[in-house]
Amino acid sequence: MANVDVAGIHRPTGSLDAADALRPYGGPWNDRWAAHLLRRAGFGGSPDDIRALTAMSASDAVSSLVHFPSDAAPPPPDLFDPIAYVRETYGGRRPADVGADQKRAIGKDVRKQERQSILSMQAWWLDRMLNSRAPLQEKMALYFHGHFTSAAIQKGVTPPMVLAQNQLYRQNALGNLRDLTRSVSKDPAMLLYLDNALNVAAHPNENYARELMELFTLGVDHYSESDVREAARAWSGWTVYRRSGEASFVGSRHDGGSKTFLGKTGNFNGDDIVNVIFDRPECATFFATSLINYFVYNDPEPQLVDAVAALIRKNDYNLAPVLSTVLRSNVFFSDRAYRALVKSPAEFVIGAHKALGLAKVDDSAQRAMAAMGQVLFYPPNVAGWPGGQNWVTSQMVISRQNFVAGLVTSQVIGQSSWLPSVPLKAQSAAQALIASILQGDASPLASAQLADYLNGTGESAMGMLSGENRDERVRGAAYLTMAMPAFQLA
Amino acid sequence: MKRTSFLLGALSGLTVVANADHLFARALADTTLPGLPGGANRTLVLINLQGGNDGLNCVVPHGNPDYYRVRPSLAIAQNEVLAIDAQLGLNPNMRAFKALYDKGSVAVVQGVGYPDPDHSHFRSTEIWQTAAPDKYLHTGWLGRYMDDAGLPESNLFNGVALSQVLPEVMIASKTDVPAIPSERGYGLVSDRNAASRTAYTQMVRDARLPFQSPYLSHVMEIEDHSQRGSQELPKLIAGYKPAGSYPATALGRSLSLAAQIVGSKLGTKVIYVQHGSFDTHVSQVQTQNRLLGEFSDAIAAFYADLAAHGNENEVLTMTFSEFGRRIAENGSRGTDHGEASPLFLIGGNVKGGMYGAAPDLSNTSNGNVKFGTDFRSVYATVLERWLGKPSQKILSGSFSTLPVLA
Repeated sequence: MANVDVAGIHRPTGSLDAADALRPYGGPWNDRWAAHLLRRAGFGGSPDDIRALTAMSASDAVSSLVHFPSDAAPPPPDLFDPIAYVRETYGGRRPADVGADQKRAIGKDVRKQERQSILSMQAWWLDRMLNSRAPLQEKMALYFHGHFTSAAIQKGVTPPMVLAQNQLYRQNALGNLRDLTRSVSKDPAMLLYLDNALNVAAHPNENYARELMELFTLGVDHYSESDVREAARAWSGWTVYRRSGEASFVGSRHDGGSKTFLGKTGNFNGDDIVNVIFDRPECATFFATSLINYFVYNDPEPQLVDAVAALIRKNDYNLAPVLSTVLRSNVFFSDRAYRALVKSPAEFVIGAHKALGLAKVDDSAQRAMAAMGQVLFYPPNVAGWPGGQNWVTSQMVISRQNFVAGLVTSQVIGQSSWLPSVPLKAQSAAQALIASILQGDASPLASAQLADYLNGTGESAMGMLSGENRDERVRGAAYLTMAMPAFQLA
Repeated sequence: MKRTSFLLGALSGLTVVANADHLFARALADTTLPGLPGGANRTLVLINLQGGNDGLNCVVPHGNPDYYRVRPSLAIAQNEVLAIDAQLGLNPNMRAFKALYDKGSVAVVQGVGYPDPDHSHFRSTEIWQTAAPDKYLHTGWLGRYMDDAGLPESNLFNGVALSQVLPEVMIASKTDVPAIPSERGYGLVSDRNAASRTAYTQMVRDARLPFQSPYLSHVMEIEDHSQRGSQELPKLIAGYKPAGSYPATALGRSLSLAAQIVGSKLGTKVIYVQHGSFDTHVSQVQTQNRLLGEFSDAIAAFYADLAAHGNENEVLTMTFSEFGRRIAENGSRGTDHGEASPLFLIGGNVKGGMYGAAPDLSNTSNGNVKFGTDFRSVYATVLERWLGKPSQKILSGSFSTLPVLA
C-alpha cells in the first residue's frame, strides 16, 4: 500500500529553541501547566487531580505519571470466544453435516455475541481511561492502538484476540519499542488483520512486511520493493491456528533461504528483520516524529525530531527514559505546545468526565464517540486516526457538544465531585467554572456571557441565580464552559 | 480565517483573496471545461447503497441460462423480470424506476469496479469514497472537488450529507460539510434553550484568549458553523413546497429534503444520501426486494418533485455500492461479498440506456463478476461532464470518460 496523506496537521507559530528544547523545564508551575500535563500524559484531570499536581514540583508531577503504579483493576470483562463456541456447537460434526438453517442460526448468534463483547471491552477501556491510577499507561495503549492498528471482527479477529493485543500494548506501555514490534508482529490479531497468517514460503503475502516498514517503523522512501519482498520471505511461516486462535510458527511454511534486506544479508527470520529495521536511524526518526505529534505538537521541526530521535537511540528504544525527558522538557511546557493539539474523541469524552469530577463513564459515551469519529478497536484503516483538524467538522463538533449537553443532564452528573459547591453568586460561579474546567482559558466575552447566563440576565431574563434554579443553571453553565473553543484543545 | 478572507474579498468588491491557496482554487474554478452548457445550478446527488448491492438480482441477466444455474433459489423468474431486452431486465420491485428508464432518464453502467478488489466492507467503502485503491487518503473525492471548485466560502451548504455521520466521500481539507440526518435532527441540543443559544453564539466569537493554538481559528469557525447552519437551514428552505408525495421511508424523507435543498437554490453542489443495508448473506430476496422497491419509489417521487419545479435537468443522481456479490448463491439463500456490480446515473441529461458489458458468469474473478469499467472513469465523467471540473488532480490520475451524459 502506498503513502498516507496527513492533511489538516498544523505546527504552532513561533520558532523552536532547539538547543534548549529538551532541557528540564524550570519555569512557573501552576494549575494551567499541571492541567496541560494531565491532558497530555493522560486524559485530563478533575479539579482535585490538578490541585494535587500543582502542589508538587513540576519534576515530581511528571515522575508521578511516568513511574506509574501497576494497576490491573478492574479486570477485563469475560469475552465471547467464537472459536470455542463454534467448536462446541459443531461438536464432532464436519461443517458439511450441519444444516443450512442451523449454520445460519449459529452465525447470527456468533455475530451478536461478538458485538456485545466488543461493546463491553470498549466500556471497560473507557473506565480504565477515566479511573486508572496509571493514566499514561492507558494513553500509551491508545497510542499503540492507533499506531500498530488492528481492527476487531475482521478477517477472523476475535474479541479475545483484540483484548490480548490491547493488553500487550498496556504491558509494554513504556517498554522497549523493538521488543513490542517483535511481539505485535506475532500477535494473533495482527497476524490475521494484516494477512501474515497467510504468508507461506511458496506464496509469500507481502501485506504485513510492507505495513511494518511503511506505517509502523520507517515510513515511505526508506525501503525498496525488494526489501518488502525479502521481509515477507523472512516473516513467512507465522500463522494462526483457526481451531485455537493461537499464533504459531510453522517451520515447513517458512522460507529459510538467504535474504538481502536493507543492505544486510543472512538467513533472516522475522525477528531479524525487526532488528535490522531498528538499527536504521530512520526508525528512531519515525518514532520520534510520531511521539512528538502525540505528546507535544503537530508537524514538529526537523531539529526537534532529530533531538528526540537521538534520545531514542541513546536509550536503545526504551520508552520510559525517553518520555520522562520529553514530558519534563522546555518544549513540552512551552506556550507553543500549550493547547496546540486537538483532543481526540477519547480525550474529549474522558476529559469531560474528569473535568466534572465524575467517577463513572456515562452509557451514552460509546455511541457518541462513534459520531465524533472514533470507535475503540475499530481504527478507520491500518493508518490509524488522522487527528488534528480532521477531528473538527461541524458534524463532529455538534456530536461533541450534544454529548456534553446530555452528560450534564444525565444521572451521572449528580455524582460530580464539585459542581454542587459552585458559589451561588453568578459572577463567582462563572469564575469557578472557567477556572476548574478551563484553567481560565476563556475570552472576556465568553466569561461575561457565562455570568449573564447564570444570572438569567440578557434577552431571555430567566431570573437571578437562586437556590431553586441553581442546579439546572449550573449544569447549563458547565455545558457552556465545555462548549468553549479551549475545551476542544488538548 | 476563511471567514476573514471571504469578507476581505466581499468588502473590496473583488473576488481576489490574499492567499495563494485561494488564488489557486479560483484559477481552477475558472477552468470550466469547454462544451458544457450552463452548469451553474447543477447538483450531484450521490446515493450510497450500503452493504454491497447484489448486481445480478438488480440488473437481471434473464437471458443467460448460467444465471439460473448458479442461483437455484435466488434467481428471478424470467416472466417476473422487468425486461429491458432479451438479455437484461430490472428487479420486479423497480417498476417506477423502469418507467424512468423507459423515458430515457436512466443510464445503467455494468461491471463497475477496480483492480485487485478488496472484499472488506470497511476498506472497499473507503476505496470507493476516497477514490484511492492503493493509498490511504483522509479526504473523499467529492471533498476534494469541493475544495478545488472555488465555491463561495460564506456558503455553509456547498455540500451536504443527509446522514448522521459525515461520510468519507464528503470529507474535505478546506470545506466544512454539514451532516444533516433530518431537518429536525440537525443542530445543537442546547439551542432549544434561548439563553443557552445566545450565550453560545457570543462565546465562540471572541478570539481574545490567553493562549495561541494552531487550531484555534479553525475550531472557532467550525463551532460557529455548528450553530449557524442549523439555524439558517430551516429559514432557507421554508419557501419550498414538495410536489406530490414521497414514500414514508428513510430514503423518501432524505430525497424529499434533497429536492427542497435543490429547489431552494442554496448553491449546493453535492448531496450525499444513503440507503441500505444490502449486506444480504442470508435470505437475500426479502431484504433486497424491499430495499430496491424503496429505492425505485423514492427516486420516482424525487424526479417527479424535481420536474414539477423545473429542476429535473439540474440534478444528476448517481448510485454506488462498495461491491457486488458472489455470482453463486451461498447455503443460506443469500450471497457473499463479491466484486464488480452495476451502478445507475439518473436525470440531469443522461443518455439513457445500458453501458458496459453484461456480467460474464463463466469467465469470473474467483467466482465474482470481473470489472470492465473502473469506478474512477465514472467519477471522471461526473466531474468533467457534469460538474465541469478537471478530474486528474482530484482522482490522482487520468481516467477516460464515458459517453453517458448529453
